[in-house]
Order: sequence, then C-alpha cells, then structure tokens
Amino acid sequence: MLEIDGLYKAYGDNRVLEGVGFTVAPGQMFGFCGSNGAGKTTTMRIAMGLARADAGEVRWRGRPVDEDVRRRIGYMPEERGLYPKMRVREQLAYFARLHGMEAASAGRAAEHWVEVLGLGERRDERVEKLSLGNQQRVQLGAALVSEPEVLILDEPFSGLDPVGVDSLAEALLQQARRGVPVIFSSHQLELVERLCDAVGILARGRIVASGTVTDLRAREAGRQLRVVAPDAPAGWAAAVPGVRVVSEQRGDTVLELAPGTDDQQVLSAALATGRVTHFSWREPTLVELFREAVAAPTGPSAGGPDATGSTAVAA
Amino acid sequence: MSAPEAPTVTRPSSLRQVGLVARREVSTRITDRTFLVTTVVTLVLIIGLLVFQVLLNSDDDPTRVGVVGSSSTIEPFLTEQATAFGQEVQVSSAADEAELRTQVEDGDVDAGLVLGDRPQLLFDESADDSVVSIVRGAVAAESVQEQLVAAGVRLDSPPAVQVVELQPRQAGSDQLIGVASAGAFLTYFLLILFGQFAAQGVVEEKSSRVVELLLSTMRPWQLLAGKILGLGVLGLLQIVLLAVIGLGGALAAGVLDLPGQAVGTVAQSLMWFILAYALYASLFAAAASLVSRQEDLGSVLTPMTMLLVVGFIIAVQAIGNPGGTLATVTSFVPGVSPLVMPIRAAAGEASVWEVLVAVALMLVAVVLVVRLGGRIYAGALLRTGGKIKYREALTAER
Repeated sequence: MLEIDGLYKAYGDNRVLEGVGFTVAPGQMFGFCGSNGAGKTTTMRIAMGLARADAGEVRWRGRPVDEDVRRRIGYMPEERGLYPKMRVREQLAYFARLHGMEAASAGRAAEHWVEVLGLGERRDERVEKLSLGNQQRVQLGAALVSEPEVLILDEPFSGLDPVGVDSLAEALLQQARRGVPVIFSSHQLELVERLCDAVGILARGRIVASGTVTDLRAREAGRQLRVVAPDAPAGWAAAVPGVRVVSEQRGDTVLELAPGTDDQQVLSAALATGRVTHFSWREPTLVELFREAVAAPTGPSAGGPDATGSTAVAA
Repeated sequence: MSAPEAPTVTRPSSLRQVGLVARREVSTRITDRTFLVTTVVTLVLIIGLLVFQVLLNSDDDPTRVGVVGSSSTIEPFLTEQATAFGQEVQVSSAADEAELRTQVEDGDVDAGLVLGDRPQLLFDESADDSVVSIVRGAVAAESVQEQLVAAGVRLDSPPAVQVVELQPRQAGSDQLIGVASAGAFLTYFLLILFGQFAAQGVVEEKSSRVVELLLSTMRPWQLLAGKILGLGVLGLLQIVLLAVIGLGGALAAGVLDLPGQAVGTVAQSLMWFILAYALYASLFAAAASLVSRQEDLGSVLTPMTMLLVVGFIIAVQAIGNPGGTLATVTSFVPGVSPLVMPIRAAAGEASVWEVLVAVALMLVAVVLVVRLGGRIYAGALLRTGGKIKYREALTAER
C-alpha cells in the first residue's frame, strides 16, 4: 500500500497543500487529477524527496519513504530530463545502476527496455538527436528500467500522439498487472476514466474526491435526465413537480429529479409539447465530476461523501 | 499497514552512488571531442615550450663585430670586455666603411665598428645595448692603454679578485624555480579548464532538468562529490601525463640536470594542484548551480576566475622575486598559495614548516568551501529560471 498521508506544504504565503491524503493499493492505477497549480506536482515531488513537506508523510508498505525506498520508485518528472549527449542504452543503464542494479543486470535491463520501447535502432544514438516522441519513450524507460516497485509519473501522456498514448497506456497497465501501484497525473480525463481503477481529484490543496469512478458517480447526488424536445417552450419542465432544471438550451434540457419522481411523468410532459428526439438518463463523465468537485465554493466542506450536487455545473 | 514485512531493498551506499557519478564523468569526458582536443593542445604547447627552451639555451652564438681600421689591436680588448659581460665576440675586418655597411645591412655581422678619431658603431635596425657597452668599454680601454704606454707607464698585471658568496643560493635553484613555474602555469591552466568543465556539467544537468531524476536516487552532496571526483581524476591524470613528458623531456634534452630535486619539486606541485582543484572545483560548481543556462555562467564564475588570475599574476611576480614580501605573504593565502608556494619552496625561500602551515590553511579552506558550496549547491539545484542569489540558496527550503 502506498499511503500519502496528510501532506501540508506552503511556499511563503502560498499554501499549496493542505492535508492531501490518499492511498494506492498494489496493482492499482491511480489517476491524479486537478486544475493547473492545484498541487499535483508538489505532491509527487514530496513523495520523491525533491520537496520537503511541512507536515505529513508518504509511506510504502507501512514504512516512511526514505532514500532507500525511493530508489525502488520509478519516477517521471513533469519537466522531462535526460542527459542530452548520452546515448539511449547507456543512459538507461546508468539510471538502472543509480537505482541500485549491478552493472550486468543494468545492462540487460537497458537492452530489454530499448527493445520494448521500440528504440532498438536508436539504442546508440544521443538522446538530443531523437524526436520528442522518442525522447519521451526514453524518459519512460528511465522510470521503468530498474523494475520499480512503485511508479509515480507526472503527466506521462502530455505531448504524445494517440498511438503513443495507447502504447504508454499498455505499458502502464502491464506494470499494474505486475502488482505495481501506479500513480499518474493527467489532464486527459477521458484517459484517466478509461485506465484508472481509482481517481483522486485535487483542488484547493486537498483531495476533494477520491475513489473509483463508479464510487464518485454514486456520490453524485441526483442523477440527471436529458430530454431534447425541439418544439417545447422554455420552462416547460419546471412545471413538472419534483423536477429541477439544471440547464436548458433551445429545447435541450438537463433535469434533476427529486427522489420518488417518476421519469415517465417527465416524458409525458415532454411529449405534450410536441416531438421528443432524445430522452435518456446520463452518467456523469469524469469531466463533469471533476468540474463539480473543483468548482465547489471556497471552504473545505466541498469534499467528502456529503458533497451535494447543489453547485451549478458549468455550461 | 503491515509494517515490518518490507522486503530487503538493495541498499546502495553513498560511496557507490558517488562512484557511479564519477565513472560517468570520466567515461563521457574521455570520449568528448572538446576534452580530447584541449588535452592534445596542452601537450603540444608543453612540448613546444620545451623545444623553445632547448633552442634558447643553445643560443650562445658569438656576437659578430666587423671592424674597419686596426682590427688586430682592438680585438683583445673586445674579447676581454665581452667576457666581463658573459658573452663572446667574433671580430672580422672589413676593407672600408662601405663594405662594412653592406655587411651590417645584410646581417653578415651583428654590428660594425668604424675606428678613427671619432669611432662609430653601426647597427642594421636597432642598437644592441650589450654590444654598445662592450664596444665602448673596449675602445676606452684601448685608448687608456695607448695613452699610458705613450706616457711611459709600465703596466703590471693587476691583482686577481677572489669571489665569496655569503649566502650562496642552492645550486640549480633557477632550474627548480623553472620547474615550479611550469607547474604553477599548468595548475592555473588546468584549474580554469576543469573548473569550467565542472561548472558546465552542473548547468547541463540543471538546464536539461535531468537533475530531478538524479536527485530522486541520491543526495545533492553525492552528485557534487562524484562530479568533482570524476573530473579530478581526469585533471590529475592529465597533469601527471604532462609532468612526466615535460620532466622526462627536459632531463633528456639536458635543460635540467638535477633529477632528484626536480622530481621533488614536481611532486610538490602535484600536491598543490590537488588541493587547489578541490577548492576551485567546489567553488565553480557551487557558483554554477545558481544559474540554469550556460549563457549565464560567465557572470557567476567571474569572481572565482579573478581570484585565480590574481594568484597567477602574483606567481609570475614571485618567479622573479621569490623572497619578496608579496610572495611570502601570499604563499599562505588559501586559493593563491597553490600557485605561489611551490615557487617559493623551489627557490629555497620557504622552510618546511612554512609549507606545512600553508597546506594546513589550504585544507581548512577546502573543508569550509566544500561544506558551504555543498549547501549552496543543494539549495539551488532544484530551482530553475533566472539567477539565484547566494543567500537564497543557503537558506533555501526544499
């Protein structure tokens, strides 16, 4: 179990983290979301010992993460970094050795990852000569080459084309299947939704929502009903008892039904206005969950299971 | 949750990480074109200097003076005067002034002497002061003797003067000073070179952001130590190579004829190089960690480079005056002492305890600089963008 426990961090007056905490189980893919500047990178840097927390702790298998544990963590920093003049295989072998591998096994591991990442023909080229996509692969190789027990990746998908995204996703899933807990941050929420077993949403220095995507959906107070009735006059739905209009735009309405309200009654009301071209319950996407969680007003009460859907969803 | 069942992780010791960093420094430099080129250029330079020295030493051709007039009578006077100046003259006679002028212009003779009531000394382009003195002395001496003989004075041979040196200089100390000066020059040159290497390496890691990956596997001081150690091994290798070639060549060419003492002087120069390198490499690396771009390096390195340059200028001064106050005082100042003390010691001007005190002071400085520099380095390494102030780096909380 990788535990991030109550991290606080302030740079001067800027309080970046105010009690960030979550856990990632072995073999779990954890998607770490949050707006720009929410503190994702700071959290990861604290876990890697690159920043010091004012309070709180990061533990792996119940033991505080120190230098020795950190060498068992594969890390991809937000700011990509490799030695530009070092050759691909040589570079991977060097990082493997820094993570504690002996020369021979480091060499083998480097060779293995060069092949796996499709860099076989470029193994002896200097990193600066590679395309950005290939540099990104080497960067991933640097995180994976030491067969880490934990993976912490800051925006690993940024800057990749769809094919690159797929192959990186496959590589990460493979690691998770090996039993490695994988944390990665991303703004590509569809991707997070598709890949991750668990999600944590960071806002205002705290985790405002975390759990599986299904969990998060269940927490969402009222489910939403979308009705498209092109000929309906504005405000038709508000007349139906137990219905709250979330948004209405030229006959396209999103409604929230109070408990016990019959959706068929809504349908009848809609049909009474004329044609109905669309009528469906919709699952909130992670994007919406994210907006919901992040857009909560100031004050720490936004997080947790009691978060209500009372705030307006951005149109 | 389950605390004690953590697996045994291989625990790389600090030394291992330092060693890995050092090994990388050596292996990347040794295949680097710039490094190889500078090494070769230095070698060529040293060998060139040596050859030049040999040529200079063998340059004891006699000064050729052409004479119009009674050349046979003036010749012994010229020879005698030249000997007094530590030179040799070769006298030839010319038929007339016109022929002599041609000889001077063509460079057949170094100077032309036209004897007569108003003697003239001819040079092609510029007068050679020592030749002027020799000729003036010779003409005057001849004239005095002629007048004395004309006055009927009989000349006894004058009493010989015995030479006594009250504080004789150690035999061959000039040669040793030469060796120490060469050592100081090389030390200066290599310090600038390897200081630059260290500084560029630090900035390369910062600007390429690879430092973040590195620091997730080791502490800043391990990275710094590995870098300085690796480059230091290369620097030492280079200076030892140059010393062996230089010393061997000089002994073989007969420029030096005191093998034992010369080796001692070289050994002392090497020791000073190591101390100076530890100091300056730490200074350069710490300063370099304050900036994130190679272009900004110049501004932060200037103070340290200035200290080195000042040390070098004092060292040059000390070659001429190894016993002077300036050389004596500065040979104890850490940072300058590695360039000045070897010269003083080679000149026999510094006693053993003085050298030991200078070494001790230098060691103290090295320890202080390494500790302080390490803190600056650690504080500045993960901060990018712009130039960081020393105070900020020292008080930086990560």
